[in-house]
Amino acid sequence: MGDTGTAHATCAGGWKLSRREMLGVGGGLLVGGGIAAAFRQWTRHEHGLRADVFIGKASDYHVDLTGLIGEGLKTLGVTRRVIRGKRILLKPNLVETAVGLSHINTHPSVVLAAAQALRRLDAREVIVAEGQGHRRDSQLVLDESGMGQALDGAKITFVDLNHDELVEVRNTGRRTSLESLYLPQTLLSADWVVSIPKLKTHHWVGVTCAMKNLFGVMPGVVYGWPKNVLHWEGIDRAIMDINATVKPSFAIVDGIIGMEGDGPIMGSPKSVGCVIMGTNMTAVDATAVRVMGLHPYGLDYLTGASGWLGPIHEHNITQHGEPIEPLKTRFEVLDVPHLADVIEG
Amino acid sequence: MHTPWQRLLIDRVIAGAAHGGGWGYRADASACAEPTAVACLALACHKVEPQRWVHGLESLARLQCSNGSVPVSAQVSSPGWPTGLCVLAWASAGSMTNRRYQTHVESATRWLLATRGRRLSPMPDIFGHDRTLQGWPWVEGTHSWLEPTAYAVLALRTCGQTSHPRVREAVRLLWDRVLPGGGWNYGNTRVLANTLRPFPATTGIALAALAGEPQVLQIDESIAYLTNELPRILSPFSLAWGLIGLTAWLSRPPESESWLAQCAARRVQHQANPLEDALLLMADLKSYPLTSVPDGDTHG
Repeated sequence: MGDTGTAHATCAGGWKLSRREMLGVGGGLLVGGGIAAAFRQWTRHEHGLRADVFIGKASDYHVDLTGLIGEGLKTLGVTRRVIRGKRILLKPNLVETAVGLSHINTHPSVVLAAAQALRRLDAREVIVAEGQGHRRDSQLVLDESGMGQALDGAKITFVDLNHDELVEVRNTGRRTSLESLYLPQTLLSADWVVSIPKLKTHHWVGVTCAMKNLFGVMPGVVYGWPKNVLHWEGIDRAIMDINATVKPSFAIVDGIIGMEGDGPIMGSPKSVGCVIMGTNMTAVDATAVRVMGLHPYGLDYLTGASGWLGPIHEHNITQHGEPIEPLKTRFEVLDVPHLADVIEG
Repeated sequence: MHTPWQRLLIDRVIAGAAHGGGWGYRADASACAEPTAVACLALACHKVEPQRWVHGLESLARLQCSNGSVPVSAQVSSPGWPTGLCVLAWASAGSMTNRRYQTHVESATRWLLATRGRRLSPMPDIFGHDRTLQGWPWVEGTHSWLEPTAYAVLALRTCGQTSHPRVREAVRLLWDRVLPGGGWNYGNTRVLANTLRPFPATTGIALAALAGEPQVLQIDESIAYLTNELPRILSPFSLAWGLIGLTAWLSRPPESESWLAQCAARRVQHQANPLEDALLLMADLKSYPLTSVPDGDTHG
């Protein structure tokens, strides 16, 4: 794999990726400021794609999150008519647990509130599913995160996507070399997939949110623990392929307490106090990155998805609920060269 | 004699076999290599009569590819990481049956010895482990990780290959991946600025694979880590592998039986999970279960 740009990341699998390489643009083309400005002007159009994003304030996990998520769904046009009769899969982020460190994973209160809000809209069934990237043991993850107790109390079924029945489907993204992807039957049988990530920095790709969260639908029995196949293919490219193929319907970001620094596992808690929602993952993630005081154009998978999977330019995202500026909270990012663009733009 | 919960889990495992033989990750699921291999081992270790589980060994034989690897399931032709577990099942449980699986073991062993994780250049500023050491990957063409390496070591040791250079390098790799304070996770020690956390299950799996190897500094810390963690754990996969690892190092806590009984009582309230049920049964053996199965009469 060539390394044609300055912004790249390297991980355990040994991959390297530059944004320029991903965009298929020659390494020298973006060096000049004028060309960079032209590039930004071009990206502003984003093939006419537009999206709506809702931000709601939530000071902690004890506020009426069901009401807040219900308000967001309504604002974004997700009515009873849309949800009635649907089988809905909620995909939280439960990558790895550690007792007492709740800021690593999506908080159970957000998942329960999402389930409740969707049940109120007459969803036929709401399930929670995850295929953790580090720990194979789902039961232990459910126990340590408190998610298991919460789901049992609400009579919500959990499905372990790492060990589900598998279906091979065509990779519709083709940003990686993978011609097909193996996906869990449970995921494919859902009418609606809702990504419910934690708002976190990520030490390889900058930020992990609604799009990166979908790594957790990829079954570990095929892709490993960690999902090293996807690392070798390039995390950014894999994120785009998974999103292009799975086509999630909605995102609800747990931005009440996020993680900064050495995310997605070893970082520190960061209080933001918001929930970010939307029907377009790309727009939701771009908004989340702005709330974190970082730069969407510094994330390779967002620039790659721009104008294809959705918009990231703020002119193409209609903001509902709370405005970004008062909530903007600068997240610390590791001081490593491959994340410089995320910080500096 | 079996305790009530052992009997219950044995019956659940037997009844949970997939249509056509073998076991899946759930009782109603199609057969997969890992739960099938572990179920066969567990039932053989508990002296259940072979006619109840030999269909599992047969299904693994049918699943085996011409190159010797055994994929996850019939629906997925690769990766072949379950191959090590299948060798264990054929070599150990298979010895109790009239049908011998020697050709399958030999073919699988050849594949294991020819398969290796990708060697990477050292990057000590970024990664804490020695990326040049080669064990086994989850997926061919990727880096070496803890579980597949441990399963391959267990398999090759069972086949008398303890001294093979691949096994010796894999043992070095496992020791290299131990965390400074003891224990193992999926196979990373430090990434960028931070040392990572250990997990109970993978610590048990690593200890099982390293049984009989000369002791290194972090072994006491690793045993202490598990001994401290296991009393609070009610999850079958982690508790079972943790106890198997401690048993391998003659450090099995006296409270193990009550932990297992408690875990099993919780387990049976949920849908049958052949892999987890079988692991609990294996962990209940007071002797290390992954080298050979016990002699003696079998039970129906």
